[in-house]
Amino acid sequence: MRVVVIGAGEVGRHICQQLSGEDHEVVLIDRNADHLKRAERDLNILCIEGNGASAQILEKANITKADLFIAVTDIDEVNLIACIIAKEYGVLRRVARARNEEYFPGTSPLNEYRLGIDLLINPDQVMAQEILRISEVSEAFEVVDFAHGEVVLVGYQVKEGNPVCGVTLADLKDLRGLYDFVIVAIVREGETIIPRGDDIIQAEDRIYLVVRRRDMAAVEDLFNLWSMVPKKVFIIGGGRVGFRVAKALEQRKVDVALVEIDPIRCEHLAEHLDSAVVLNFDGLDAHDLLSEGIDTADLVVAVTDGDTTNILSSLLAKYHGAKKCITRISRPDFIPLLGKLGIDVALSPRLVAANMILRFVRRGAILSVASLLGSDAEVLELVVSERWAYVDKSLRSIDFPADTNLGAVVRKGKVVIPSGDTVLKAGDRLIIFSMKKAIPMVEQLLAS
Amino acid sequence: MRLGTIGALLGWLLIFLSVALLIPIAFSIYYDDGNWQFFVISSAIGFVLGGGLAWSCVSEPEIGHREGFAIVGLSWLAAAALGALPFYLSGAIPSYLNAYFESMSGFSTTGSTILERVEVLGPSLLFWRAFTQWLGGMGIIVLSLAILPILGIGGMQLFRAEMPGPTKDRLAPRIQDTARILWGVYVFFTAVETGLLMLAGMNFFDAICHAFSTLATGGFSTRTDSIAAFHNPWINVIVIVFIILAGINFSLHYRLLSGNWKAFGQSEELRFYLGVGIFATILVMFVNILFGTYDSWSDSLRYGAFQVWSILTTTGFGTADFDQWAPVCKIILITLMFLGGMAGSTAGGIKQVRILLFWKFTRIQITKLIHPKAVEAIKLDNHKVPAEVIQSILGYFSLYMIVFVVATMIVTGQGIDIITGSTAVIATLNNIGPGLGGVGPCQNFAGLPDLSKAVLIICMVAGRLELYTIVIIFVPKYWKDVRYPRWRWSKT
Repeated sequence: MRVVVIGAGEVGRHICQQLSGEDHEVVLIDRNADHLKRAERDLNILCIEGNGASAQILEKANITKADLFIAVTDIDEVNLIACIIAKEYGVLRRVARARNEEYFPGTSPLNEYRLGIDLLINPDQVMAQEILRISEVSEAFEVVDFAHGEVVLVGYQVKEGNPVCGVTLADLKDLRGLYDFVIVAIVREGETIIPRGDDIIQAEDRIYLVVRRRDMAAVEDLFNLWSMVPKKVFIIGGGRVGFRVAKALEQRKVDVALVEIDPIRCEHLAEHLDSAVVLNFDGLDAHDLLSEGIDTADLVVAVTDGDTTNILSSLLAKYHGAKKCITRISRPDFIPLLGKLGIDVALSPRLVAANMILRFVRRGAILSVASLLGSDAEVLELVVSERWAYVDKSLRSIDFPADTNLGAVVRKGKVVIPSGDTVLKAGDRLIIFSMKKAIPMVEQLLAS
Repeated sequence: MRLGTIGALLGWLLIFLSVALLIPIAFSIYYDDGNWQFFVISSAIGFVLGGGLAWSCVSEPEIGHREGFAIVGLSWLAAAALGALPFYLSGAIPSYLNAYFESMSGFSTTGSTILERVEVLGPSLLFWRAFTQWLGGMGIIVLSLAILPILGIGGMQLFRAEMPGPTKDRLAPRIQDTARILWGVYVFFTAVETGLLMLAGMNFFDAICHAFSTLATGGFSTRTDSIAAFHNPWINVIVIVFIILAGINFSLHYRLLSGNWKAFGQSEELRFYLGVGIFATILVMFVNILFGTYDSWSDSLRYGAFQVWSILTTTGFGTADFDQWAPVCKIILITLMFLGGMAGSTAGGIKQVRILLFWKFTRIQITKLIHPKAVEAIKLDNHKVPAEVIQSILGYFSLYMIVFVVATMIVTGQGIDIITGSTAVIATLNNIGPGLGGVGPCQNFAGLPDLSKAVLIICMVAGRLELYTIVIIFVPKYWKDVRYPRWRWSKT
């Protein structure tokens, strides 16, 4: 596949890295030669310097041969115009990033479909969605829905003293009784392991389970975990993301305290929020935070524009007893480090946006894809086609690539947790857990 | 600096070359020259060494740009070491150093030889000699990028270390595809030239060997008298045309072949290259008439044109002994030796684009003396050339001069006369082949002392890889933070 990306920022570079790593032909366009130089040094892609919304530059990038066009410059207008031009050149799928939501209120006669944009991505909105998704379960650091929410993938951190520590997966299978679940991956010291029966769960592992939603409570019970909807949430930073999260949470009848340093912004927030309490002080002011009761918060969301403020206020909240924190950080390289510091979830808005775009790109036979935080693995949901070579064959006969794991099979709305004897039928949805490097092989297997 | 990655990739390259070593066996059996077993032994040695390295070193998933230099530089040194084995084992070249010289002269497309009469080698060794030039012409790493998937990741670090040049044009987003396109064009031209040479009366063996060394701008011939041995004007014309083509940037060839008729017209460097060649041809032609070297204008044009293009593109084929020409002709040829072909071609030398930009830079310096406040941009093909490119060219010149001076001092320090010594360095550093005096077109390099030969070997590979890749290997700082390989059998 030939992909043209404009904008060599964090998002653009992340997308280029993923796609070129999967052996696609990637052309990156940016006006800034320095950004390009860095991308060209590190990635196996073609870099062109120039304005991505100029037809001349796009022709230089051989746009007529492109299958996918991704516009992620920092300027909304450039992205939109570039997508319109790409449509005229007949590019099949077009993705644009637009931060300013005023361009597209739902009723505007000029919406993204008219402009020929297949996916319009607003990074703030995506970030807020991601935070809300993760906020639901307290002890899980990751929850992803599949098959219309009937199957969930949950990530848990196994704490010291948990009864499952030191148990092999095979033993756990005997223990699990009536409830079906599959441990699809273990992340241990930053390394992702696709486990087999003789692997042992250790303390401090992060384990990923695929489980039916209705069995979730029982499985959590088995793993001695708890989950709940947060009752009291502190949001530090009243920017666009903070506001969106506060708005959504107050509609769910959650106690929200929103901390913002700028008094004018505070007035705006207070005007547009109802039950949420808007507090005007610095997110690093420990005294004020404590007097407002951050120590009793179930969840702290630190989403100011400053990484330092976010990290320090999260650490402070955790130190004083907040149960969970979600921290925004603009430099994705630091995410693994933050886990070590005790921050539960670190999110980079740019990575979140890039992953959203990648999820869209992979659509096709694959229904949805989720990248897991701090791990080089992805979860794919896909449908078994009638023409597939392995229809009506048992799983045992399929030669799955190494580093992949079949998590669940969803058949006519029912969830089958697979074993070697499970027979795959056309129309089944498969939930596959795979290391990123094995994804091309999975795609190949499914195309056979 | 991860030695594991370097070892593993070096191993794969040796395996790759040991497969290439099997090809001359076909000629050995056909001509029954009795050398086939030496190729089998060499190939086996390469396979065992390469296999051992590739198997025992655990490669890291990514190749940094620092590893890139070491992999490419060491690969070339190792390739020549392996390529020397058939010459040495068969006894055709009894000294291993001489065999290594011959082999490096092949891979680096130099064309200097230590043999008095090349015919003693026999067909299969002659083929191998030409084949090493062909492999080295477009680059062994680029070839392995094109066909070995193992080098896929980080391939562009290697590509950059082997195909440097001041400006880069990528033909496809993925470096592997670019490598495939370049090799595709290269193979295409080789096939066309082989066909034409056969039509002109060569047999298949001579035709393919000469096509190999023409397209690579190498200069190894199957005859001691080089192209002159064939006494055929058509062969002269065909070879000269393909020499000129081989000195042109191969991306331009690709653009032209894929239907962009304007590609040639748009390139300022091409105009400069052709201009320099034509001007030098006319000059040499007149001078040779003036000094009475040739009696007829047609002879003077024929020999002059062939020699000028052969030297300018750093090929080194001969139809005349230019050591007998007038001194002014010799100095013209020595100047041409430094210039070389276009960047992105198979030619050696400093490269036309560098000279062109250097000339423009100098001109601007003079303008600035007249108009101190003038703002001038150095333009190439109507685009401004970034200041750092100019800087890198200036840096390249000074490094070139340093290498040239140091190498010449070592060679002449061993009692070689100044003409022989300096032109030996010029001829090897620019990948030409013959020099003047004791290493002139009708002489060879066998008489030089061993240390000189070793220095010239380094000059050849340094010239082929445009200095930096080789020079950096000899810089102690480069090897400072070495990480020792993770062996396959060690448990971590």
